[in-house]
Amino acid sequence: MITTTVVGSYPKPPRTDQPGATNEFELRRVLRALEKGEVTPEDLRQAQDRLVAEVISEQEQAGVDVVTDGHVRWNDLVTPFAGHMAGIELSGLLRYFANNVYYRRPVCVGPVEWRGPASIDAWCYADSVATKPVKAVIPGPLTIARLSLDDHYSSHEKFVLALARVLAQEAFELEAVGARIIQIDEPALLDAPEDLPLAKRALEVVVAELKLSEVVLATYFADAKRLGAELFDMPAHVFHLDFVSGPENEELISLMPPESKLQAGVVDARNTLLESTSHVGALVHGLLEAMGPERLSLSPSAGLEFLPRDKARLKLERLIQIAGKAGE
Amino acid sequence: MFGIDLPGAGLWTTSVGSLPKPPYLTRARARYSRHEIGRAELKELELQATKEWIEFQNSIDTDLVVDGEQYRGDMVAFFAEELPGLEIGGLVRAYGNRYYRKPVATGPVGRDHAVTVKWWKFAQSLTDKPVKGMLTGPYTICDWSFDEHYGSRRAFVLDVAAAIRDEALDLEAAGARFIQIDEPAASTRMDEFSLVIEAMEIITAPLRTHTITHICYGAFHDAYPRMLDIPVDQIDLELANSDYSLLQSFQEHPFTKYLGLGVADVHSHVLEPVETMVEGIRRALKLLPADRLLIDPDCGLKTRTVKEAQAKLTNIKKAVDIVRAEL
Repeated sequence: MITTTVVGSYPKPPRTDQPGATNEFELRRVLRALEKGEVTPEDLRQAQDRLVAEVISEQEQAGVDVVTDGHVRWNDLVTPFAGHMAGIELSGLLRYFANNVYYRRPVCVGPVEWRGPASIDAWCYADSVATKPVKAVIPGPLTIARLSLDDHYSSHEKFVLALARVLAQEAFELEAVGARIIQIDEPALLDAPEDLPLAKRALEVVVAELKLSEVVLATYFADAKRLGAELFDMPAHVFHLDFVSGPENEELISLMPPESKLQAGVVDARNTLLESTSHVGALVHGLLEAMGPERLSLSPSAGLEFLPRDKARLKLERLIQIAGKAGE
Repeated sequence: MFGIDLPGAGLWTTSVGSLPKPPYLTRARARYSRHEIGRAELKELELQATKEWIEFQNSIDTDLVVDGEQYRGDMVAFFAEELPGLEIGGLVRAYGNRYYRKPVATGPVGRDHAVTVKWWKFAQSLTDKPVKGMLTGPYTICDWSFDEHYGSRRAFVLDVAAAIRDEALDLEAAGARFIQIDEPAASTRMDEFSLVIEAMEIITAPLRTHTITHICYGAFHDAYPRMLDIPVDQIDLELANSDYSLLQSFQEHPFTKYLGLGVADVHSHVLEPVETMVEGIRRALKLLPADRLLIDPDCGLKTRTVKEAQAKLTNIKKAVDIVRAEL
């Protein structure tokens, strides 16, 4: 049987096939009320807790083997971590890669420093309500740096390595509370192959103190062809590649060293069209031949929050069908 | 190339497109979505708000008027609701706590009726100044929609381009002398820039009017000077929110079209002082003559309050008057 997982985010609106579903769902209402000072941060935390439990149960019911909290508490992957560090402020909205989705650009205004964990409580809560293993997801230092404006370090390298030291602390704490799978997302690497040596040094810093965890390095939204075999020199046990936006990634498989594993993004997380089982089956069959069932897991191409909730659930069900067929 | 037949020596004032909805209209839209009022009642208020915005633009002597898009939710959904082949899909998040219903192509996209012409005629009937025809570009409509039909971005974009061309021709036939086709998504994927150009060619080739496109900041430095290949007469750009840094690119590669010069940041509550706008216009005048410049806010003003938007437009007019006196 082939293992299945998700990349991270999950839609926050309710399923429309549930009674009483409207545009005005609980989390949205509570966030708005918090802005007006009508509810407390504790009310928000409880609303988020409820949605995390719901989203995890939805993944588990679909049959996903390794789940996430759906990033329900976050607006994107970068700002909850960057915004939590000393030395960084959040500024105006910018487009998140080539998606019609926006994030607040971090601006580095002073030395970047650890100011306590950014994701530990969230991971612990998710772990407490899940029956399946919960993957911890953090942004990579290169991706934070490339989505930010640096007004402090005069060198890109110094900025990236400073971010890496803070993320190392986060990763260490995640392992300490029990996370055994830590995924580090570096989508920005695909637009910046020249930064690969720096990204490698930075990732070495991030994972330096980890002893037990399986480290997943995730790239998505494009193919990693320009990175070539050197991508697999990065200190990770598992590599997530997006085979939907980057079909050329198939050419990279033969370059993977025998000890590394592949998390293959085979179901489109950014378009609602439900792919046919047979079409994706052919791709998965090829991956399975090359990797063997022990070294292959399947997932959507990226975080599922680009989709409406109903479609995200259908995508997960399709993913499980594809994995089931391939495992026969 | 179609020039600008407006009175005066240049530095014409205009707006990019959207203007804020007055609170009574925002409330009515919410009630309409809860089925508490009907379409006719909502439309009455949309007409009223449009009338108020035209009257405001008349009052500050705006040279090239917009209808303010009081009847649109967002620029893509509005067309998706009207064009066969596109449907309004499920709720997705844009940023923060903001959500929108993202359109989906479920069949071949075409056009079976005019979408904007009645609104344009209504707005034009309220002013002696020309009113811009306002369309969303095909690349942006497709980039901001799901695709369950085409499986090819190019085929999708070219079909939508034909639909938007038909709309543009109807606007022209109704008397529009200025037609703007917005492509805010154009600078997101440089590898598809030739598709943006190909689609725009379909729309503007048969037109005999002054054509405009508005492009948001995005990867401007990658897109310039290539964006000069987009077959339109005028490109409207955000200048204020980058402190006019884009003008440096024009020194290296001269800007060869009419320029819509954005001098007010639409994402900020802060009202730019007249002097700052004057300075921005003067900097642009070092690179382009006055009769190639139109002065406006950076982008649509719909996220500001009515008061903030009016204050920004009023200051733009004051700044233009000061610089015009120096010409």
